[in-house]
Amino acid sequence: MRRYTLNILFCAAAVALVWLAQAEMLDGYVLNILMLIGINCIFAVSLNLVNGYMGEFSCGHGGFMCVGAYAGALISVAFFADSALFGEALFAPWLAPWLFPVILLGGMAAAALAGLIVALPSFRTRDDYLAIITIAANYIIISIIENIDAIGGPRGFSGMKRTVNAMADVIELPWMLMWTLAGVFVCVLVIRRLMSSTYGKGVSAVCQNEVAAEMMGVNTNRVKIMAFMASSGLAGLAGVLYAHIYGYVNAQSFGLLKSTEGLVMVYLGGMGSISGVLMAAVAFTLLIEVLRFVIPWLNETLHAVNLLPAGYQLDQIWTWVFIPLMLILLMQFRPEGFLGNRELSDVFPRLRRWITLK
Amino acid sequence: MLRVTNLKAAYGKIEALHGISFHVEKGEIVTLIGANGAGKSTTLKALMRLPPPESPVVTGGDIAFDGVSLLGMPAHCVVSDLRMTLAPEGRRIFGNLTVMENLQLASWSRQDGQDGGMEEAIRRIFDLFPRLAERARQRSDTLSGGEQQMLAIGRALMTQCAVLLLDEPSMGLAPVVMYDMFRTLKRLNAEGLTIIVVEQNARLALTLADRGYVLDTGEIVAEGPAQALLNTPQIKAAYLGG
Repeated sequence: MRRYTLNILFCAAAVALVWLAQAEMLDGYVLNILMLIGINCIFAVSLNLVNGYMGEFSCGHGGFMCVGAYAGALISVAFFADSALFGEALFAPWLAPWLFPVILLGGMAAAALAGLIVALPSFRTRDDYLAIITIAANYIIISIIENIDAIGGPRGFSGMKRTVNAMADVIELPWMLMWTLAGVFVCVLVIRRLMSSTYGKGVSAVCQNEVAAEMMGVNTNRVKIMAFMASSGLAGLAGVLYAHIYGYVNAQSFGLLKSTEGLVMVYLGGMGSISGVLMAAVAFTLLIEVLRFVIPWLNETLHAVNLLPAGYQLDQIWTWVFIPLMLILLMQFRPEGFLGNRELSDVFPRLRRWITLK
Repeated sequence: MLRVTNLKAAYGKIEALHGISFHVEKGEIVTLIGANGAGKSTTLKALMRLPPPESPVVTGGDIAFDGVSLLGMPAHCVVSDLRMTLAPEGRRIFGNLTVMENLQLASWSRQDGQDGGMEEAIRRIFDLFPRLAERARQRSDTLSGGEQQMLAIGRALMTQCAVLLLDEPSMGLAPVVMYDMFRTLKRLNAEGLTIIVVEQNARLALTLADRGYVLDTGEIVAEGPAQALLNTPQIKAAYLGG
């Protein structure tokens, strides 16, 4: 029973949310934030596999989300939209809810493949060098996509709304919210199961000491590559969801800033802690939204008390002063993040009577 | 069992082993002694085929295990196919895993993970080191130095190794714990385990071993039965503190 409490809780919350959305008790803005939280959860938890559990430092996670987003978008448009690129839609609109998982899997596979291409040459190095290579990979991915004119180049790519609308035409449901919740569930489940398996023990061993891991017969190269592929594949899942929720993708939105967001969430939550990173992803997304209101308010107040020169407006770019500032304060006062490498059930052992993370 | 001929190994352009030859027979305890930087650990890393940059690249000579060269093999295959493993210098246990999980990691190198072989093997390790049984569910970075060394050796034995390489097993251990450790090694050897041990504490190593090799700046300068080496005046003067 204990094994299923978390799953049941999550499912109950998900059903409640979907019901609220269906009954139109959540407005579009709240719904969007909920889905953004979901995407950020997937993005951060998947990055945590490499940066937390494996102890490597990947800085280009946004790049894999980008590959997933574009691959998913392309498949989606080819399936259900008449476009200049692919010609007529391949499938009838009523198939959309059934074929959406294929779109998700396609995006994940493309992202995992990109992960493999980056991992193969770069995992001969470690630490700082891997960080540099992944930053470079992030730039390369974005440049490549921006320079392919057929998929919109720097103008971005759209048309995925057709698929989302097709799903809504079949049955009127908050489809994207449902897919996002399912994505979060699958992502957390995969990583939890992975980390309690022999493979996951291998990942932990690689994190601690590669020589010793190899001396236990662990194929460290394979472990690293598999973990990196799993991580980038799940980032791709976040990407496909993002592409369909907004109906528009642009390579620029998956730049280094996106990767940094991922890093902030992982370090805020605590490396190697799923529950910590999930909490951080929720808190971080909400914080950015709150800043959206706080910054104009701050602007007005500061102007009212004449602390700012009249010609200068405090605008949203200041989000990216506050967030890094938060990171600096975090590193100063709580470098291990919310939970360190422990799970919620380690911090509050009483929880263990009710839930288990294995 | 293990035959090293004219082995040359280098870190980048710097050659650390200038063509050493030695052999280890089944059931023996062989020790490599020498000063810091003599190439003892380098030899073990080369034997285990550990990858650069921390480990050397073999530039010449051969290492044969039961007559077959192991130079083409990656390290984890040497462990799981040839049944030779290394307990690395400084223990290197997996601190974020429990004692049990450290031992279970051996399922990577064993084929009998499904049919109860692992449980049997873990029981044997706990017989050998009862302290580990008491600490089975504890995170291994909370163990004392001696217990960590027990875990490092226990973990290595879990791979079903026929040949165990030990790099400085006495490092950082209290003398009592150290003697205990060496008695256990002697017992394992009596049960058929072949051991190659590298030690700073040359006297202790030679007392344990059947044969010894003395390394100096990448070359073997003396070899022979351990007892004879213990009584050689030059070796006494250079390595055993007079």
